[in-house]
Amino acid sequence: MARVLVVEDSAAMRAFVRAALEDESSHDPIEVTEASSGFEALRLLPRGPYDCVVTDVNMPDINGLELVNFIRKSEHHKQTPLIIISTQASERDKQRGIALGADSYLAKPFEPEDLRMLVRAHLDKRARR
Amino acid sequence: MVDQRDEFISEAQEIIEGLARDLLALDASVKRKEGADHELINDTFRAVHTLKGLSSLFGVARMSTLSHHLEDLLDEMRLGRVELTPKVLDVLFRAVDVYGQILAALRAGEPEPARSVDELLAELDSSVSRPQGGSANPLAEYDLDPGLLAVLTEYEEHRLRTNLQQGVGLFVIRVRFDLATIDGALDNLKSRAKPHGEILTYLPSGEGGDAESIDLDVLLASRQSLDVLRTELAGPNVQIEAVARRMQHRAVSEPPVTTFGGEAPRITTPPAAPEDTSLFAPRTQSGKEGFSGTTPRQAVSAVMMEEEPPPLVDVPRPGLSIRGVAQTVRVDIRKLDHLMNIVAELAIVRSALSRITDRVRGAPELRELGIELHRLHRGLDRHLGDLQSGILEVRMVPLGQVFDKLARVVRQISREHDKEVNLVITGAETEVDKLIVEELSDPLMHMIRNAIDHGIESRRQRDDRGKPETGTIALNAYQKGNHVVLEVQDDGAGIDEDKVLATAIRRGLVTESETAAMLQRDVLGFIFMPGFTTKDGVDELSGRGVGMDVVKTNISKLGGVIDVHSELGIGTKMTVTLPITLAIISALVVVIAGRRYALPLASVLEALVFDPATVRTIEQREVMTLRGATLALCRLDAFFGLPRPASANSSIRRFVVVVGVGNHRLGCVVDQLIGQQDIVIKPLGKSLDGVRGFAGATELGDQHVGLVIDAPAIVEEILAAGDASRLLGARRPTGATGGEA
Amino acid sequence: MSRRSSTREASEARRAALARRAVERGARAEYLAFRMAEEIYAVPIAYVKEILKLPPLTEVPRAPFDVIGVISVRGRIVTVRDLRRRLRLPEAPPTRRSRILLAELTPEQGGTGERVGLFVDEVLHVYRFADAEIESAATVLGSELAEYVTGIGRQQGEMILLVDLRPILGGAKTQTPAQRPVLGGRPGA
Repeated sequence: MARVLVVEDSAAMRAFVRAALEDESSHDPIEVTEASSGFEALRLLPRGPYDCVVTDVNMPDINGLELVNFIRKSEHHKQTPLIIISTQASERDKQRGIALGADSYLAKPFEPEDLRMLVRAHLDKRARR
Repeated sequence: MVDQRDEFISEAQEIIEGLARDLLALDASVKRKEGADHELINDTFRAVHTLKGLSSLFGVARMSTLSHHLEDLLDEMRLGRVELTPKVLDVLFRAVDVYGQILAALRAGEPEPARSVDELLAELDSSVSRPQGGSANPLAEYDLDPGLLAVLTEYEEHRLRTNLQQGVGLFVIRVRFDLATIDGALDNLKSRAKPHGEILTYLPSGEGGDAESIDLDVLLASRQSLDVLRTELAGPNVQIEAVARRMQHRAVSEPPVTTFGGEAPRITTPPAAPEDTSLFAPRTQSGKEGFSGTTPRQAVSAVMMEEEPPPLVDVPRPGLSIRGVAQTVRVDIRKLDHLMNIVAELAIVRSALSRITDRVRGAPELRELGIELHRLHRGLDRHLGDLQSGILEVRMVPLGQVFDKLARVVRQISREHDKEVNLVITGAETEVDKLIVEELSDPLMHMIRNAIDHGIESRRQRDDRGKPETGTIALNAYQKGNHVVLEVQDDGAGIDEDKVLATAIRRGLVTESETAAMLQRDVLGFIFMPGFTTKDGVDELSGRGVGMDVVKTNISKLGGVIDVHSELGIGTKMTVTLPITLAIISALVVVIAGRRYALPLASVLEALVFDPATVRTIEQREVMTLRGATLALCRLDAFFGLPRPASANSSIRRFVVVVGVGNHRLGCVVDQLIGQQDIVIKPLGKSLDGVRGFAGATELGDQHVGLVIDAPAIVEEILAAGDASRLLGARRPTGATGGEA
Repeated sequence: MSRRSSTREASEARRAALARRAVERGARAEYLAFRMAEEIYAVPIAYVKEILKLPPLTEVPRAPFDVIGVISVRGRIVTVRDLRRRLRLPEAPPTRRSRILLAELTPEQGGTGERVGLFVDEVLHVYRFADAEIESAATVLGSELAEYVTGIGRQQGEMILLVDLRPILGGAKTQTPAQRPVLGGRPGA
């Protein structure tokens, strides 16, 4: 059972991401843990380890870039696949996220299929190590 | 369904009303020529964002599209790229109207108003004006840790720049929060800081390894002095510093002013501008100095350079790269199936080749060729065998996989029946083909369920019989040559042979006189008869309950057999013998009613031409005489209810395939004999479980499927149907004809 | 400030719950539409694992009434059912547009986990329907078909009948006369 942490302050987006990832009930189910803010993510991270983290960039207080930065410094999640979700308008946020260590990005709006495939690809890659 | 829609409508309504209120406030401030309140713009943005999310989830397409476009517009406004002009406000108000129309349509069950939305979207684009860039970059004047700047989102950066342009001071508040109480403490800090300025961001600092607490750097823009802030926001874990403003055009060698302690975040990234060697401050030894090496101003301005964004790190595609070679390889079972199929096809080719080889060897003028061919054929045979074994080995998995599941089932069922049952497992490491393992779990569960249901007695009964209160079911597996043996043994009540016989006689499966010479295994074999173990009630049997015929069918589909041994009062043992793999077996391919079927050679005694003249009818059964003995016949086309092809006439030669099952013999009438072929029996899907008479199916070449006939099942079916037992074969091998008139 | 944030929190929580429920109910589900006889039907695309052109079909004697045969899919034997039989639709002979949908329902979804083929006359598009857009079927159809049809969606004026696969792929065994053993041993015709 792969554990994915989803950090997103919009309730609807969280539900959307959860639906996208929990959709497959077949061979390898994904367990989604939701954090509604950067702070909650910080609280939940020690309860990992998580196999993948998906985070929105534009969140109030601790934003997604800060979270990516923080995670990349952390002991347990240095190598965890990190996917950032950004808005179409901010190219720069997206690039910053990658520069800070995120593995992939998705710009809103995106199809659930895209996120699913991206997460799966990272999970599979991780499992092969 | 319906109430969810109402809920959505009511939430959307609330959001839109809030949006309208905020727009009014924005309108007022624009009219008064004040700057737009950034908080209001942010709230507006978030409202539309939420609306987009919800409408998308509920499939309200037009609302979702409209929200998406509005969100983009408002985002740009937030970032300072779009001006809030009266014209833009007009469009936003119109949007609120259109939202209202959409909601009204939803309530009435009508489709969304397409035209209004399209018109509005067209207007959106044309009314937007973007201010040209080129304002002075105030960020360059401040001594900001580039590490901090790197983690600001564009919006936050915009807010920072705006504040600085307005001459607001910058401060960093270092706080340590307890993760447990952070929510309350955070709210507290926010409410205390808000009157004094704008909090731009919270940056987690420190290594983050501590699960108890977190260090945060809070960036605050405020017009207050440092001293005031230090007084107002004092706290036990609070440290406040001002971000120094540096003079421009200073020499590079000026020592960097420490902004705030802590290590610069380590960020790896390719350099942005050619001159800079590294974009971000390298870590220093003590970690207390800010940074050294790169010129702060250069570094900062490099970060701020918008004309030359840092080169993109390659976004990894969903495609994968192999990192090194591992000792084990994870293989998709479908690929193995595919390989197995290729091997099966090769086996078919090899059989054909063998026939040709024989023919060539038989022709004197081709003798030498024949010998050569024969030699090659032997080599092919050997290698193919090796290949087959090799692939089959890869498919092997330990039985423990199934056994684990059974342990859980045992616990559940024993609780249901209020019996104490101990499951003892040995031989879990015994390996079996993966597909067999998958098909085994059902039959095993059945057997164990029966053992607990009807085998293991109640606590009281066990006590009376002097047995330990906890019943035991022993599950054992071991390999024996080419087979795997599975034993399910219980120390329960055993099966009462007398009751079994009574039921069998009553159902006409056997006559009383015949039972005299029956062995226990034959008697107990009745419990596997189709229809034997049904609603008559458990009491009749005092042994096994429902489903043993299904178990047997499933086991035979895997090419296995099942045996029962029991002692009344002591216990029962079921032994399942399985081939280790889904073996390739030899079969006779026949044609019945225009279709090809396969008959495993293991059941076939002989095949001969059907001579209608030798057929007689005894007690409504067709029989023929074969070497002096009576052979019961079964026309397979009629048996299966297959329509006879229109061109059929009795003069066309047909065949009889004599099958033997135990002591019984049956002559199966078929239309044609095609020949012998090696096949792999594949199981039929669960949905066809109720279809009797087929052991599975196989590919007869070129994707054509041929059903594999289950001769034992056919024989049993005929036996169960009536008085045919005498006709199908005598118990004594002395060849009694049994044809009593 | 704090009052505003607490009502905002309440709204947030409410919306989070609503969104979550919407997702759980599959509010925004995608359906694969196909044609059988002259009507359009659809099933949730999540259950359709593959779409095949017609491979050679082998009839299975004494199979349930809607099983038209078995096919081989990469070496595995797959049972094929004809939905037209279940829905009492006219069965035209296969054309080059005919397809077989490989559908699978896990036990959690109300099925058996077996991958079963479903014969359809033609595969059309994928549509998205929200819960809100699906009408109840009971008023439109007779009660016998209501067992199979969970609702009606509309797309550009077309009526699309949403099929419930559970009665077809579900765990309950269907009774068929073909399962009864041949009694008495009639002499062959």
